[in-house]
Amino acid sequence: MSPAKKTATKIATGVATKKAKPKRSNPPASPSTRVVGHDVPRLDGVDKVTGATRYTGDLKFPRTLHAVVVRSPHAHALLKEVRLDKARRVPGVRAAICGKDFPYHVGIYLKDQTVFATDRVRYVGDPVAAVAAETPEAAAEAAALVEAEYEPLAPVFDVMEGIAEGAPLVHPDLGSYECVPWIGPSPGTNIANHLKIRKGDYLGALARCHRVIENTFVVPQVQHVPMEPHIAIARMDKSGRVTVYSSCQSPFTVRHLLSACFGLSHGDVRVIAPTVGGGFGGKAGVTIEPIAVALAMRAGCRWVKLAVTREEEFYAVVVRQGLTATLVTGVDRRGKVQAQKMHYLWDCGAYGGYGVNIVRAAGYTCGGAYEFPNVWGDSIGVYTNKPVGSAYRGFGMQEIHWALEQQMDLVAHDIGMDPAAFRLKNCLGPGKSTVTGQILDEHAGRVDLCIRKVRDALGSAETPRRRYHGRGMACAVKAPAMPNDAASSVVLKFCEDATLEVLISGIDYGQGLRTVSAQFAAEALNLPIELVRVRNEPDTDLSPYDWQTVASRQTWATGNAILRAAEDCKRQLFAMAAKALKVPVSSLQLGTLEVVHPPTGRSVPLERMVLGYQFPDGHAIGGPVAAAASYLPEGLLFLDPETSQSAKPVAKWTFGAQGVEITVDPETGQITVERVVSCYDVGRVVHPGLIRGQTYGGIVQGIGTGTMEELLLDPKTGAPRNATLVDYKIPTTMDLPERLELHYVETAQKDGPYGARGIGEHTMIPTPAAIANALWDACGIRLSSMPITAEKVRAALAAAELEVPF
Amino acid sequence: MPPFEYRVAHEVGEAVALWHDAQGASYLAGGTDLLAMARLGSARPSRLVDIKRIPALGEIRAHADGSLGIGAAATVAEVARHPLVRADFSPLATCCESLGSYPLRQRATVVGNLCNASPCADTAAALLALEATLRVVGKREVEREIPLAEFFRGPRKTALRKGELVVEVRVPARSAGARGFYGRIARRRGVDISTVAALVTEVPELKNERFRYRVTLLSVAPTPLRVHEAEKILNRVGLSDRSAARAAEAAQAACRPITDVRGTAKYRREMVGVLVARGVKALGGTPWQDPDRIEGR
Amino acid sequence: MRCDIHHKETTLLGAAPSAPRGEASLHDLSITVNGQVETHRVPANLSLLAFLRDTLDLTGAKEGCGEGECGSCVVLVNGRPTNSCLMLAVEADGAEIVTIEGLGHGKRLHPLQSAFLGGFAVQCGYCTPGMILCSLGLLLENPDPTEQEIRVALAGNLCRCTGYRQILDAVKATAAALKEAGLRPEDTLPGRKAGWRRAAPGGGDR
Repeated sequence: MSPAKKTATKIATGVATKKAKPKRSNPPASPSTRVVGHDVPRLDGVDKVTGATRYTGDLKFPRTLHAVVVRSPHAHALLKEVRLDKARRVPGVRAAICGKDFPYHVGIYLKDQTVFATDRVRYVGDPVAAVAAETPEAAAEAAALVEAEYEPLAPVFDVMEGIAEGAPLVHPDLGSYECVPWIGPSPGTNIANHLKIRKGDYLGALARCHRVIENTFVVPQVQHVPMEPHIAIARMDKSGRVTVYSSCQSPFTVRHLLSACFGLSHGDVRVIAPTVGGGFGGKAGVTIEPIAVALAMRAGCRWVKLAVTREEEFYAVVVRQGLTATLVTGVDRRGKVQAQKMHYLWDCGAYGGYGVNIVRAAGYTCGGAYEFPNVWGDSIGVYTNKPVGSAYRGFGMQEIHWALEQQMDLVAHDIGMDPAAFRLKNCLGPGKSTVTGQILDEHAGRVDLCIRKVRDALGSAETPRRRYHGRGMACAVKAPAMPNDAASSVVLKFCEDATLEVLISGIDYGQGLRTVSAQFAAEALNLPIELVRVRNEPDTDLSPYDWQTVASRQTWATGNAILRAAEDCKRQLFAMAAKALKVPVSSLQLGTLEVVHPPTGRSVPLERMVLGYQFPDGHAIGGPVAAAASYLPEGLLFLDPETSQSAKPVAKWTFGAQGVEITVDPETGQITVERVVSCYDVGRVVHPGLIRGQTYGGIVQGIGTGTMEELLLDPKTGAPRNATLVDYKIPTTMDLPERLELHYVETAQKDGPYGARGIGEHTMIPTPAAIANALWDACGIRLSSMPITAEKVRAALAAAELEVPF
Repeated sequence: MPPFEYRVAHEVGEAVALWHDAQGASYLAGGTDLLAMARLGSARPSRLVDIKRIPALGEIRAHADGSLGIGAAATVAEVARHPLVRADFSPLATCCESLGSYPLRQRATVVGNLCNASPCADTAAALLALEATLRVVGKREVEREIPLAEFFRGPRKTALRKGELVVEVRVPARSAGARGFYGRIARRRGVDISTVAALVTEVPELKNERFRYRVTLLSVAPTPLRVHEAEKILNRVGLSDRSAARAAEAAQAACRPITDVRGTAKYRREMVGVLVARGVKALGGTPWQDPDRIEGR
Repeated sequence: MRCDIHHKETTLLGAAPSAPRGEASLHDLSITVNGQVETHRVPANLSLLAFLRDTLDLTGAKEGCGEGECGSCVVLVNGRPTNSCLMLAVEADGAEIVTIEGLGHGKRLHPLQSAFLGGFAVQCGYCTPGMILCSLGLLLENPDPTEQEIRVALAGNLCRCTGYRQILDAVKATAAALKEAGLRPEDTLPGRKAGWRRAAPGGGDR
């Protein structure tokens, strides 16, 4: 039997067009599940539509102080002195601090940042000092009176300059920073991390190739633009305990990094994450919390609120890293890629604490959705004097796919092959080997099915179409990029009436974690969904541990932990029921709200057992039913330090493909994305309504970075030029394509809850490359740098000598 | 927001007196520009004189001479949906609907949009073409009229003297029956400042039974710009593909675009040509169509 | 929204605006919020948004940008959707305000709220109150909008999560449900007696 037959793969389809009425649950739910695979109401939905949900900025604390951060106006300078005396004299100021007060390092993987700049500022916006005052106006007045003396240094604004011999060093002390063992900064250079992939015999294979094609692609820095900007509210009480409310994706990681930064016991730091108004990676790790905590430490037991403005959000917290990618592809006469070289230069910005892991993830995923037998890959993170690069939905994948998926089209056209056929010939699948030498098994997901689905929906090259109308496709792949020991844990406990409480610490910032968690628990314990309550106000004092809500890992990791805990609860219930009914445990079944003994038809209601079972004579057994369980993906292995070969570097892969149809206005260069077809192998559609939301959202976010978004800096000073929503544009309702068609393949993930795997990030990965490929199809021009703006298209058309006809 | 004093005026004379009574006062109409600037500290009024409670200023009406009067407190949304505007001065309705977002248009005023004197002020494209005049009241209630054509003096600079209040913008009867084509390029489809915009307007002249043409441009000069050279061509030879190209060239020659975050001078100049040509062709009853557009390829 | 002059790009650095000068004047304000008359003394420089959020603790309306670009702060002022960050509280003296808190509650949701809920038009939820109120403002003006009209009306309400598809469908579903129930959108405003509970669309997926 072929591996494909062994796994249940099915294609579920949901189509939404302008005219189509929204359907009921779209994929046919597997008959074996009652709740999983069906639309159930969002658990947090009523609170969100009634305005009852309290986000961090909605919380009120008595006598809260307002914080303002003083930031560097220089991209690169020595910080000679910071004088706070004038600021401190402003009436209402309760704390004014700077680098010499808190010279502590912070960072998740590489501790290259301090709470405030101490002796050197590294980008326009680098925090230099902060004040906390009774009113926002007093804080602003005091901040304006902070005097800082700088000695400007030559800045580095470009990765090529950054790696050049003799470039100014952004971090002269790089060698002294603390760092996890699997990240490799190079002291004496601007290289924050360098991952090498060496597989097979690249040079030998290249020499034998029929065609060799080289291209370079560029991705600028962009910003996440969550609707809720970063905010943290902190207090240190008389005993020295610190409490922080923060709009963050990872309360436990924030606790860990704050403890390390300030030398506090983890037991003395409490981090609470109220509902988060969007993150997309920008609220992963630690961001503004150390500044709020530092102020709180000097503010005499008062609450200090640090809410960054929309303007600061754009350049002074975190952005997505830029990328310059050079690809060399050697292909044989049959259209099989034999040799592939990938050189990724990442623009880490001023600090790479988090970004270094994007460099690593992009390295071990450098081949995308394809099998390349001979690979020479380098993924290099370079410091520049630009805003801080960090995680953003896709964790480097949209950027490398922008390069790789255009390259696949270019190679296909060069050898006269249909791009979809070329992709099918080279794509990964069961039994194929990734760039790290991992052999995928039959549960890994089927990109070939996704490609076929999208190709068939788009129509073949012979399908008639208008001039300046084009079709393009791109694939996507991503694995969770996280430490091998990243874990999630949960607690399940019953109330008196058999209502089940599920305690989780993943962040539900819209993707629907609360709802799918309830689905898993209800399914596993055969409970009506209404009886499952998900308690999800992550509080490091009270909630079970969870590493971070990133990497599309929550449905899978928290889901697995819930299933384990449910098993434990079931075991406890069965043990009581067996004694109550005087039958063996093995003869029992879980009914709805009861444990049943089918041979006799007798049963014990859950309500009589959830707090312990009492016999008619009065003696009781068992006790309140509760279980804690965790999930950590076992068996992951480090990469080889020289070649990055590893049999299992990551827990799972999610594959997919998207196709787009666009029209181009040749006179103005404006493009219209008319139609998007997407197909992802998600393992299992757990909730049709929510997965569509993830997909629509990802596609439109992809249209944003693909066609309009770019953080612009002044080329001389490095100051932001469009750090407002007036001039940094994200998509609106008017930018949504007319036709969106969503498809899902369900090749069950072996270690996924009910076969599910992550999908949150993947939906925005292929969109820009697919648009770029459609642009070529429409009018024969290709743009190597994102975003595809009207002006760039027009310039390219003009260069191709397509005259404006007026 | 930095502190300021807030005063409500109930009549025009009171408003002007309240302005003169304080150093650094500003008139407050819709506030959609002023309050955003106050938040960022780029405007620091010591006193805001709210003119929205002056009854006459909220009106949109037809005057006895057939002209259209828009009070200083009339919002962009009110103007856009007013039947008289839609029937007789439709280019103004079109330009109003292009300004900002739906909620913003409920607050922003047409007169405020003009007084802000931005080169990209959408309503200015229509009102310049319709040859509007501003009625202005100064100290001691001295009233004067300023043709809109003489109003804009540069970015954020107008012909207003200190403390003068625009009470009404008046569109003359001779512009009634206007039809226009408003071409607008921005970085995205929904709610954006134009990178470049061009309005080609056709006004019927009853006495000689012919049309007169007006061409106005936004975001390609220090002020909204009317291009008489392009108009002369159209007035002389009427609408045709040939006159479209010549008017487009004249508009390109007249504009003075700069390079900024929204676009380069080169692109803007090129698009002035494209949009003016499209406008002329659209008004000529031949909506723009790609000449190469054919089925198949 | 600022119509920036195109000769000067926006460069925003470091500390916010410097020292305030003078004092804000104080004003007695009497406004109707969600059907209740509220009288408060407020400083001139208090935005309507800050008044609703801080003084009345109606935190449904959010600040996403403070300059009318994102729509998270939209409430109804005399029936019109308004960016409450760009309006002073004192300007609203005598006005009727509707915030998200004035629509439905728990099991008695407003038709728009149940359509957003049922159609999965909500993700992180930060834009949702503004989105619902802007939609309500549209329906008050145009009870039977086309998709294009909905897109135009909501283009100033940014959402980074949903991609808008399910939001547009929820607004369409609401208009249809109201029509079917024979209700006018104004019947659904706070304080109206009409039984708008009759019009609770499944909103797509439910």
